Amino acid sequence: MSDYAPVNLSAPDQIEFELNRRRLAAPAGTMLVDAAYAHGVEVPVFCYEPRLGGPIGACRMCLVHVEGMRGLQTACSTQVQPDMVVRSDTDEVRDAHDGVLELLLANHPLDCPVCDKGGECPLQDRTFKFGPGKTQFVEHKRHFPKPLDLSSLIALDRERCITCFRCVRFSQEVAEDGHLIMRERGGDSEIATFTGDHYTGRFTGNVIDLCPVGALTSVPYRFVARPWDIKNTPSVCGHCPVGCNLELTEHEGHVARVTGRPNPNYSVEEGWLCDKARFAYPEDRAPDRVRQPLIRDAAATREVAIEEAVEAAALLLGRDGPHAFLLGPGATVEEGFLAQELASGPCRGALVAQLGLGDAPALAGLRAAPAAQLDDIDRADLVVLVGGDPANQQPVVELRIRKAVRGGGRLVSAGPRRHPLSGLGPSYITPPGRLLDGVRAAGPAFRAARRPLVLWDEADLAHEPAAAAELAGLLGATRGARQLELGADVNGAGLSALGIPGAADLVAALEQGTITTLLTIHAQPAESAGAARWAEALGRVGAVVALASHGGGIADSAAVVLPAATHREQEGVYVSMAKRAQRLRPGAAPPGGAAPGWELLIALAHRLGAAPAYRSPAATFAAAAAARPALAGLSYDVIGELGALLHAAPPATTNGAVGGGGADGTGLPLVTTLRIFGDAAAHRSDALSGVRQGAEVVLGAGEAERRGLAGAAQVRLQSPHGACTLPLRVDPRCPDGAVHATLGVPGAGVERLLAVDRSPVRVEVTAA
Amino acid sequence: MPQRHIVYLHREHPGDMAQLPEYVKAGGYNGLMKALADMEPDDVLYQLHRSGVRGRGGAGFPMGRKASFLPKDSPRPAYVVCNADESEPGTFKDREIMEFNPFQLLEGIVLAGYAIGSNHGYIYIRGEYEHQARVLDRAIAQAYEGGYLGSGLLRSRFDFDITLYRGAGAYICGEETGLLDSLEGKRGQPRLKPPFPAVAGLYASPTLINNVETLTTVPVIVAKGADWYATLGTEKSTGTKVFSVSGHVMKPGNYEIVMGDTSLRELLYDICGGFRPGHDFKACWIGGSSVPVLTAEHVDTRLDYESCETAGTYLGSAGCIVMDDSGCIVRSSLRLAHFYRHESCGKCTPCREGTMWMEKVLQRIVDGEGRMEDLELLESIMGRISGRVLCALADGAVAPIESALRLFRDDFVHAVEHGSPAREPMAPMGA
Repeated sequence: MSDYAPVNLSAPDQIEFELNRRRLAAPAGTMLVDAAYAHGVEVPVFCYEPRLGGPIGACRMCLVHVEGMRGLQTACSTQVQPDMVVRSDTDEVRDAHDGVLELLLANHPLDCPVCDKGGECPLQDRTFKFGPGKTQFVEHKRHFPKPLDLSSLIALDRERCITCFRCVRFSQEVAEDGHLIMRERGGDSEIATFTGDHYTGRFTGNVIDLCPVGALTSVPYRFVARPWDIKNTPSVCGHCPVGCNLELTEHEGHVARVTGRPNPNYSVEEGWLCDKARFAYPEDRAPDRVRQPLIRDAAATREVAIEEAVEAAALLLGRDGPHAFLLGPGATVEEGFLAQELASGPCRGALVAQLGLGDAPALAGLRAAPAAQLDDIDRADLVVLVGGDPANQQPVVELRIRKAVRGGGRLVSAGPRRHPLSGLGPSYITPPGRLLDGVRAAGPAFRAARRPLVLWDEADLAHEPAAAAELAGLLGATRGARQLELGADVNGAGLSALGIPGAADLVAALEQGTITTLLTIHAQPAESAGAARWAEALGRVGAVVALASHGGGIADSAAVVLPAATHREQEGVYVSMAKRAQRLRPGAAPPGGAAPGWELLIALAHRLGAAPAYRSPAATFAAAAAARPALAGLSYDVIGELGALLHAAPPATTNGAVGGGGADGTGLPLVTTLRIFGDAAAHRSDALSGVRQGAEVVLGAGEAERRGLAGAAQVRLQSPHGACTLPLRVDPRCPDGAVHATLGVPGAGVERLLAVDRSPVRVEVTAA
Repeated sequence: MPQRHIVYLHREHPGDMAQLPEYVKAGGYNGLMKALADMEPDDVLYQLHRSGVRGRGGAGFPMGRKASFLPKDSPRPAYVVCNADESEPGTFKDREIMEFNPFQLLEGIVLAGYAIGSNHGYIYIRGEYEHQARVLDRAIAQAYEGGYLGSGLLRSRFDFDITLYRGAGAYICGEETGLLDSLEGKRGQPRLKPPFPAVAGLYASPTLINNVETLTTVPVIVAKGADWYATLGTEKSTGTKVFSVSGHVMKPGNYEIVMGDTSLRELLYDICGGFRPGHDFKACWIGGSSVPVLTAEHVDTRLDYESCETAGTYLGSAGCIVMDDSGCIVRSSLRLAHFYRHESCGKCTPCREGTMWMEKVLQRIVDGEGRMEDLELLESIMGRISGRVLCALADGAVAPIESALRLFRDDFVHAVEHGSPAREPMAPMGA
């Protein structure tokens, strides 16, 4: 990871100082280590990690000579001062670096040949650069049984630990989970969890990136590859709309590891990843991965060559329409644009829609308010969180909110559910449909704030137009207030920028039996909101062509299955919830006969006799940017490594989510929740098998008592749209007046309770 | 009479000073009453400054200057923290003060609080001082009952509370920032400085942290005046100081003497009754264990801060550990290395790894497995610790051993050549 903080050498008010006889400048407040690094001088560090808070001066590696100060100074904790004269190249300083390394290595096992970190290890690198060629240590080294499972994801080798405290500080001061501690003292110090249990949480894997030695290593990556046998590719995450920048490690043809970027994107994830982003990659090789093209008829399912499958798909789409194209939330901008191009060319008149929420009129006012980026959360003195559950849905946002509160900011939250951030400040729990009350309760907090920032949940507010309008009003009336959308769909913003609407019209057309062929692109309608209605509607379509990376759902019944690359295996652009266009880069090639979606769609266009003028994702995106005003000015080059913001608003589109109506049905209002390790990706990844979460129904104690369900193990939920049966948990802290159920868990079926547009429903709860 | 029990020990007082009425009868709380009636907080601060009293915990930093570092305009509350984690080897002066003269300490804390505008004091007492904690507990209760603590104490408009907090047995918690972390409920480890406790101490608030003996001085300075106090001792070492003498002397114990008045020879031979028949002085760690050792050559050193520095050591906590010619300097060094290795908190590299390494090398030498190059190795390790650590602990480990290696080199050479001159082999010490 980057050990040094970024330094803006072109900021005004630079302070001049001298380093190793060179006259240099850096902004006031810059630490010497960072200023030196920005000017190409490496002062070695181990414990210093600016993202973990203030320096702690523990490892003593960064000692430098500062003229006029007694003894050597830790450059990690010394700020540049005007005309300060610093030397990092004197014999005394060299002896200090050498000396600290000799001491660090005294009890280090030096088992580099069998250590996963070997070859990409800061301790190893710095020993070669700054350290002793030879040790004077002849005593027995300290030994521990090794390794320990710190969790199902992280192995702990205590012998290799150099006690830099980075992991402990991450746990205590960034994730604030309080799990990791340093146990014992002195030379017996060791990393442990406070309770002695596994280190569990949403962000645990970051300690692997933070560890400057091989003490904390990834269990799924353990002994998989050596650093000279891998290729690292910068990309972005495709599991939620935050768009965390990450790095994909390729080994033997597949993605074998996901890590934070060595140079983090400080406007997005700041180098932190959630454990789903980091450990979901084994889903690319899950047993249900679609590896070969399939053609299915009444008699049999055949594996065929890709040409034959594309030919078969082209035959289906070449028939008289109308056809329909349905894009899943993870489809790229290129895939969406190619679908639109098919619909305006060879498949003229085809409906193009996205499974995600799309554009909701109720949100127009909020989206028009001044927008913020994730790093603005750090600086907010008031964070108002309306709806949602960022800790589970946009996980890295949790770390930003915690950072803001640590820095003295206030958090006020309002919404239909309790979540891991509710305890950080006043929290107003409102029943579904009554979010306006919560927004009004949070309103007075704006008055005292100078830099308020509103985080609002797209899915919750889409159906609460009164709350959205009130919030937009508060934003408009408060000077300096900004908003950031907590998006529901991975690339919902990208598909909306193309003008692709929600699927209300498409599902209606399917129901009417007028659609000849449905092409799904990374879409699983029968496992999405309105699952019951989708299943019914899909029965009336002439034929289905599924472009899919995994089996199950529609891929198990489609007439033609085009095996697609996952977001870790293809080029493309995702637009994050903060309207930042970012590039996916393939970490590895897709397996077997699978191919990137853009390639399959271009091949399809060729077969349909409408060959596009471009044949690469970059050119596809360039065409999209030229044709869609919301993407104007963007190209792969402009997006670069760190992304670029969309400047124009997306076009307004039609969508069923008009909101404002009361909830359908009778019984208790349904509040859906998402769990970070509860979705299909987490369930497919064997790495996450130890932490994956199932679905449940949660009722407050009073509500359970009233309905005679206090002793029930399973309950049946029935809405006007469908039904499902799930285990019941009675939670005294859960507010009464609503029933909570987990959405997104494969096979659980909570989606059947919902309408396609996710509008509010009531459900009858009975013992099952 | 070289001993003068006029500030701390009051052994001549006939009554039990640990009882509030006796303390008051002996003139106790005169200082606080005087301050509350006639003095502004700044006047008290000025008296501390003028008295020249230096911190008795070991570093000897002038108390008045330390108190003046507290920002006056902080929006946060200020705290007084009394460092009663007396764990420096050979030091047991605070123990006697707390046990036999607790009210003077409480009065000193209140006065310090008055001077810096604080309303809350904490006493962090080492866990092993169970009896002393009970005495203080009772004294605090009596002081509250008598109106010497609490809101509007002594019918003034000044409020002050004292909380007693027991440590859990770590030497590092006597280091002021380690103490503050421990007091906040965290793992006791020194903090990076700056910021100093005066600016961001307990709960990131302005904090005056002083040793028991230092705070116990305050009532006397306020009651009798800084000018009177400054007449005692030398220019840079004012007042009296309690010396805890332990080891090979006939009458070990606590002795309060006026600084600069007495020499080490007088302390050891006259006051402490000299050595056992047939034995004589060999070495002395005058300021606790964390200071360079003194040899017979330094026996005429006068007992004040500046004379000790001239002799190449520090007055430290004045925990004077004495060894006669029956002792082995090599084994003593091992014992000290063991202590510092055991007490190192592990936060910074040179201390955590260096003290462990030093102990291992010394253990080998004592066990008769030493190599001549181990003496240079020890010097090399110590050179890589000294001045490069986060707090004073490891410097304290280096000082006695580095000086022993320099001043008693023949003993080390002999130990390498012949093993330790021990009557029996020394068993390795446990954790």
